[in-house]
Amino acid sequence: MTEKSKLNAPVAEFNGVSFRYDNGPEILKDIQFTLAPGSFHFMTGESGAGKTSLLSLLYLYHLPTKGRVRLFGYAVDELSRRAKAGLRRQIGVVFQDFRLLDHLNAFDNVALPLRIAGVKESEIRRHVSELLTWVGLENQMKSYPPELSGGEQQRVAIARAVINRPTLLLADEPTGNVDDAMAKRLLHLFLELNKLGTTVVIATHNEGLIKHFGFPRLHLEKGHLNVVPQNQYKDMASKLFNRGGAK
Amino acid sequence: MKKDSIFFATDSTRLFLPWMSMLMTFIAVLILATGITSYQAITNWKQVVSGALTVQIPTYTESGESRGQAVNQDVETALTILRSSIGVVGATVISDAQMTELMAPWLGGDVAVSELPLPKLIDVTLDSANHPNLAQIKTDLAEQVPSAILDSHRMRLEPLIKLSDAGIKLIIFILILLAVTASFTVVYATRTSLSAHEHVISLIHMMGANDWFLTQKYAVRHFSLTIMGGFFGFLLALPIMAGISFLIRGATIDFIWNPALGIGGWLTLLLVPVILSILAFLTTIKTVLGYLKRFL
Repeated sequence: MTEKSKLNAPVAEFNGVSFRYDNGPEILKDIQFTLAPGSFHFMTGESGAGKTSLLSLLYLYHLPTKGRVRLFGYAVDELSRRAKAGLRRQIGVVFQDFRLLDHLNAFDNVALPLRIAGVKESEIRRHVSELLTWVGLENQMKSYPPELSGGEQQRVAIARAVINRPTLLLADEPTGNVDDAMAKRLLHLFLELNKLGTTVVIATHNEGLIKHFGFPRLHLEKGHLNVVPQNQYKDMASKLFNRGGAK
Repeated sequence: MKKDSIFFATDSTRLFLPWMSMLMTFIAVLILATGITSYQAITNWKQVVSGALTVQIPTYTESGESRGQAVNQDVETALTILRSSIGVVGATVISDAQMTELMAPWLGGDVAVSELPLPKLIDVTLDSANHPNLAQIKTDLAEQVPSAILDSHRMRLEPLIKLSDAGIKLIIFILILLAVTASFTVVYATRTSLSAHEHVISLIHMMGANDWFLTQKYAVRHFSLTIMGGFFGFLLALPIMAGISFLIRGATIDFIWNPALGIGGWLTLLLVPVILSILAFLTTIKTVLGYLKRFL
């Protein structure tokens, strides 16, 4: 495959993908979907449905036990370690548990992906300061994660995931610890990135956000994936909300 | 942010590796200094004793009677034995004129040495590379020329030389053992640190750090910690070496034993912490790369 065709290739392509941890039960079963470049998806499903596992396949932490995953046109099981590292640098991840490094302050946590990518310190200072200001943490740049509230930690984690303008942004419950206003503000940040070409997948339980933004859903149920297109979801959501009554 | 603080905010290797390196260097420097000094001494001994030996044929009996013609016969027999022995390049009788010259400082130049009870001397030139068998020469002379006396430092020093050679081999073995122990210690320290920082490494790996990014941080850090401890170990060994040199200087044979290490010796000792640090650097690289294979 030439570089040009790689550029036009789907960001992610899952073909008959199943996944289990060691000898445990199958968490994901025969998953089939494609993420087009520049798309925006919500990932939904009950707790334990396999959202985090599916995300871990997308950010190359695991390989599928069956089937094939292609990222940016490359079959991940055929890639060298160096090539996988290169792909990972194009993926930003917001973890459910944030995974901030407690011995680094907010600034250095956010700067980490840039340092790994070998960006100049002067550029790092400029970009990180701008982004932390944007997420409302201009006064907490020198604070360490244990000194920050849950919401502030989450914003640091989000800033870290988007600092190097990833091609694919994956977020596991990125708005779980912030109020609705901040949740919408953060979602707008994701939207801005999406407008610049970043493909976004957000795992969330926040029905309000899903309804508000109305993007298509990757819905997981007992390990099976159902892709719900935007319009169909809007219909489904409106029926659900009508049935529940306006409270 | 310090370059290595991504991993090492709280890391036991920060104290452990310098201490290990200091101790290993201290021991290695002392052992190596002993080895270098012993090697120099053996080389000196070999140079002193390898070139020549002297055979004496007495001209008078123990009771003071002249041995007459028997002396010449003994000299001829001794020359035949010596010239036919392996490793002997030449054997010549020291003439009366040469004897007079040799004795001149004590007896003056006009003494007739033939009238003095001095033994006949045979100067024997040896070829060390051809392994002269001094024990065999001594046996042959004792059988055929019982009066002959073989005068060789080599015969007295040979057991000592063999012992010292064995000592040097032992020192090399101990140094290798120290290097292996140091490597295992570095492997242990690295693995401990990697396990303690698994969450950090996993995160950085997921962010797209390649293996070398992670490995070089560990390798450079372990190199600097080891070289720092190593030079302290080197400095610590200096007063001990000075003390040993002082003791040796008072108790050794002056023309053979030279406790001074020389520039080459000191440079070799200075290389100990450097070599140890390079060893730690390479061991760390191998250990970290092996560890990272567990990540996809």
